[in-house]
Amino acid sequence: MLERSFFIPMTDRSNEQWLAELTGAPDIQARALEDLRQRLQRGIFYYLSRERSDLAHLSGQELGQMAEDLAQDATLRVIDNLDSFRGDSRFTTWATKIAVRLAISDLRRSRYKDFSLDGLTAEGEVLPASTGDAFPANAAPTPENATERADVMLKIERALREALTERQYQALSAVALQDVPLEIVAERLGTNRNALYKLLHDARRKLRQSLEAQGLTTDYMLKLFEE
Amino acid sequence: MSLHESELHKLIDCIVTSHHDDCLDCESCARELDCLAERVAMGAKINDLLPEVATHLCCCRDCFEEFEALVAILRAENSGQLDAIG
Ligand SMILES: [Zn+2]
Ligand SMILES: [Zn+2]
Repeated sequence: MLERSFFIPMTDRSNEQWLAELTGAPDIQARALEDLRQRLQRGIFYYLSRERSDLAHLSGQELGQMAEDLAQDATLRVIDNLDSFRGDSRFTTWATKIAVRLAISDLRRSRYKDFSLDGLTAEGEVLPASTGDAFPANAAPTPENATERADVMLKIERALREALTERQYQALSAVALQDVPLEIVAERLGTNRNALYKLLHDARRKLRQSLEAQGLTTDYMLKLFEE
Repeated sequence: MSLHESELHKLIDCIVTSHHDDCLDCESCARELDCLAERVAMGAKINDLLPEVATHLCCCRDCFEEFEALVAILRAENSGQLDAIG
């Protein structure tokens, strides 16, 4: 099945050619840069127009403009990072990875531009806007285990308050409960995504330990809240 | 503070189900992403290739979103769909 492999246009460059031309004489470099930019632009446009239902309200022209701007920035970033290309994928795949990261970061930033961690504190509501309708009718607890569930909820809330630092609490609520991207939460916390990922790991471990110390095993909780 | 049940599910999911200790961090994951996406776009199964990256992708929504986007573009490219875009 792997035989029907890549579609590689005849005009495509090898990795070595890309690297040589992108760092070559001015006229050669300019042509390679333009080819790269166009290629990234096509990939980004495809992604924005076909894979992002949240952008469906934008016109083809608007998406085209977005793709053009993003491709411009991505091309510069690729050139800045040329030294870190290891050659274990096609050059254009590596460049597309950089473009995708940039495009998605941009989309996240604009979507969450008003997001703030300020309201997220273990003392306040977890979700200020949450209402009773968070209980879907079909998932309503049966009378037999309602008390048991309420007790577990209290213990979990206690673990959240007592086992986690304020920072861990904010990070976990934003990422795990509100589905905010790590990248955004990291920015608000003045850290980077990698560090936040590690912080979340620690928070989850502490939470699990605290729950177990209160006699709540993960199996028990899973069973109790099974639908 | 009051948790609602849907949030509780998410919380339990995050501390138990979708979490693994000792998985790769985002930077290490990102380094492998182009190579991995290229092979997945050709039909390989991610778990057969780099299970530790697969684990990170289960655990990290941001990296997963970027991985999926990259695979989608590569698939479109491999099938010639990108050439139709001016
Ligand atoms: Zn993990
Ligand atoms: Zn990640």
